[in-house]
Amino acid sequence: MTTTCREVFNKVPQITLGFWVIKILSTTVGETVADTLAVNIGFGTAITGLAMGALLVSALFGQMRRRKYVPWLYWSTVVLVSIVGTQITDALTDRLGVSLYVSTAAFAAALAGVFVVWRRREGTLDVTAIDSTSREAFYWAAILCTFALGTAAGDLATEAVGMGFRWGVFVFASAIVLDIVAWKAGLNPVAAFWFAYVLTRPLGASLGDLLSQSKTYGGLGLGALATSAAFIAVIVGLVAQAQRRATQPV
Amino acid sequence: MQKALRSIAASAFAIASTGAFVPASVALLPQAAAAATASKLGDLSAFRTVASDVSALVDKGDLTGARKRIKDLETSWDEAEAGLKPRAAADWHIVDKAIDHALEDLRASNPTVAQCKTSMGSLLRTMDQMSGKN
Repeated sequence: MTTTCREVFNKVPQITLGFWVIKILSTTVGETVADTLAVNIGFGTAITGLAMGALLVSALFGQMRRRKYVPWLYWSTVVLVSIVGTQITDALTDRLGVSLYVSTAAFAAALAGVFVVWRRREGTLDVTAIDSTSREAFYWAAILCTFALGTAAGDLATEAVGMGFRWGVFVFASAIVLDIVAWKAGLNPVAAFWFAYVLTRPLGASLGDLLSQSKTYGGLGLGALATSAAFIAVIVGLVAQAQRRATQPV
Repeated sequence: MQKALRSIAASAFAIASTGAFVPASVALLPQAAAAATASKLGDLSAFRTVASDVSALVDKGDLTGARKRIKDLETSWDEAEAGLKPRAAADWHIVDKAIDHALEDLRASNPTVAQCKTSMGSLLRTMDQMSGKN
């Protein structure tokens, strides 16, 4: 009885393999969409940033006022948080000239800060118990920080040690695997979850680059459009599946 | 609590040691100060071709045409960022800034041929420096 009730009232998805796949792919798609709007279509980063910020506010509003988990709404919110988190880091780096060492450290500190306040206020950081507006607010604040942090850390790896996307896929995937091993060996599940969550941002970015970048640069040469289309197809399929399951009688 | 701390420390160590798998060649080597050495950015000829098209249009006074053509440079440069930047991030930023200046000048509300000539000249010189020609 208790488990069923909790499942029905948890505002966020269960942590399954499907969850991680959608998470990784949606990161890439979000970045590509923002880039296409800013550069290819030519709106520029400022206007795109404002537009995405506005979309995020309305998605968050919609997501948070619902009384239950609605997959397409949840994942749309994640994609928008991904875009805005990335744009915040990019604005700091490109416009304000903030060093990537500084932004990586600052966002790591911000994330830690969110957890401290969250833990103090709610008594638990359990992501299978996001059943109040207050908990959900902390949840999304943390997710925003993970995207900003993931962007900064990924960019820092590129700029500081010249790590390209081929190494990136290997390193970030390996780090996640090690995280899973550590979790099985007794690492605190909340720590394991969020550590992996941060890593999926640079992993998604590297994976997208590996598929889309020209063969000249070591990519598969599929191009941004085909890669995004493929990722979107997988995401839509998995979210539709989740949507079907969510509306089935318990 | 202690068990969790030990696990965290162990996994942090394990994750840090994945850095050992990154080969030395990936690490950023000190760049030669002399412009005569080609940048690790590699072959920028495709970009240079578009840049010189833009420059030719500017020299002819066709700023509208130049603005259209430089868009090709902007999008192709942006698309190749993930492939180019890791090779030599500092050099990539130098070329990127030069492209940005050229874009700004061509997209100004009242662009002048003189100003655009300056920024295009500067961009071409920068690209040539990166290819080791100077």
